[in-house]
Amino acid sequence: MTRLIALTMGLLTATTSVNAAECSNATLKRITERGEIAVGVKADYKPFGFRDPNGEVVGLEIDLAKEVAATLGVKLRLVPVVASNRMQFVEQGQTDLMIATMTDTKERRNIVGIPGPNYYASGTNILSPKALAFKDWKDLNGKPVCGIQGAFYNQSVSDKYGAKISAFTNAAEAKQALRDRKCVAFLFDDASIASDLASGSWGEFEMPLQSEDQAPWGLAVAKSEEACAFGTLISGLEYNWHRSGKLLELEKKWEIKSTGYLQSMHDKMADPIK
Amino acid sequence: MAVLLPLRAAPQMDGFSLTSWLANIKWWQIGLLLLIWPVHAFAQGAVTVNDALAVLYKWAPFLVLNGFLFNVLISVLSMALGTGLGVLVGLTLISKWYALRLIGNTGTAFFRNAPWLVLLFVVLLAFPFEFTIFGMRVPFPGWIKAVIGLSLPVAANIAIVVRGAIQSVPSAQWEAAESLSFTRIQTLWQIIIPQCIKRMIPPWMNWYAILTMATPLCSILGTEEMVTLTRQAMEAEGNKPEFLMPFYGFVLVLFFLYCYPIAKLTVRLERKFAVKL
Repeated sequence: MTRLIALTMGLLTATTSVNAAECSNATLKRITERGEIAVGVKADYKPFGFRDPNGEVVGLEIDLAKEVAATLGVKLRLVPVVASNRMQFVEQGQTDLMIATMTDTKERRNIVGIPGPNYYASGTNILSPKALAFKDWKDLNGKPVCGIQGAFYNQSVSDKYGAKISAFTNAAEAKQALRDRKCVAFLFDDASIASDLASGSWGEFEMPLQSEDQAPWGLAVAKSEEACAFGTLISGLEYNWHRSGKLLELEKKWEIKSTGYLQSMHDKMADPIK
Repeated sequence: MAVLLPLRAAPQMDGFSLTSWLANIKWWQIGLLLLIWPVHAFAQGAVTVNDALAVLYKWAPFLVLNGFLFNVLISVLSMALGTGLGVLVGLTLISKWYALRLIGNTGTAFFRNAPWLVLLFVVLLAFPFEFTIFGMRVPFPGWIKAVIGLSLPVAANIAIVVRGAIQSVPSAQWEAAESLSFTRIQTLWQIIIPQCIKRMIPPWMNWYAILTMATPLCSILGTEEMVTLTRQAMEAEGNKPEFLMPFYGFVLVLFFLYCYPIAKLTVRLERKFAVKL
């Protein structure tokens, strides 16, 4: 009985503390006041966010940012970010929203607010020479593997399978290292590897393993906005993009190899009334 | 039989070693390098030389206008700020007050010996991204922080240059000025510093060349300069390893074309102004 009371009390305080976290809605106020939303996007991750030869940043995530700005009726200002500063910018308020190919993890949720449902998901796989004939992730044990700095899966692959990761600043350098035989495989997300293989210039290479860690990607807002108006608005937009098929449409538009995640989300959230 | 051999100064590393090395590269050496370099670079991979050069040609205007000119802007502003600060700090180094000298010496020693990248990181993280002054929102973008971060080590080194130049003026000048009842400030501004400027120009240009070559460090902090944009351009072209050499080679050529004349001129001025012993 005492335990029950304690539990109830605990629950009550938990609820009140949520209510007590008053919403200042500072982000939303700032956006309306300036008539402009600053969105942190990638400029080095084709086809999600990259530059065209005129220097404009384009891509799937930029289309999403445009949708957010249109919904709020404000101008869009794109701020190119990299993995090492993207969360800091959102925390400080330098960007109001971040759409920058970020994998949603528990640790990251302690720093920034990541409203659901997740807008994309990808798995981890390797690009390796056919001659090496890898069958299982365990085959990488003790072998040198090239990766990209700031990718969350570097750690897990090295911990779980004992691969020795050397991380490069960009994919071109990592791929060159793979060609130069400085490593036996290039660790990256499966959608990108699939499009590389489809491009035809990697004839001697393959993506031999079962994709690991199908991990969801998240948009990020400031932690204080997560449960308030702006976070809720972003949640609603993400939900609508899944339901209306907007994300599937964009996946097709930017010729991204489907990972099946968007289709399954679309089916799950489909409108029951036809 | 013991013979006194002619005394020759051993070659030594000084502040000019980089510039004089750069200035000593001969044109025929560059030509030779250009002849053999692409052969090795393009010997591998499926993308032909022409493909890679066509892609580079497409991106070149953007890379030069938005990238390289921005590096030049960063270097010019950092140098201006660093020189202003450096002259002030340099004057504290020759101050008559011990406390001021101590502060100046400590600061100079610190900023001369701290890695530039670490200084950049500290400045980037320590300053806010915008200020509010009298209700006005003043943005404080990352590239301005980069300018400040790069100007700190430059200022410390310019301070040493200033001190060295002032000390190189024969002490008779000070004594003569004193006998004509010039004050210390008057002596400094009207007699000593005008003589120093000529001697400071070569080391000053040397530091400018070093600073310019250091500006790509900002790419690590996410500032949109030449190297950042080059990486983004390669990404947009599908991250083919065959593009690494042409694109980074292009960056190399641009920086070389900019710094080589500066280095040549520095060495020439240095010879011209050298004090004959």
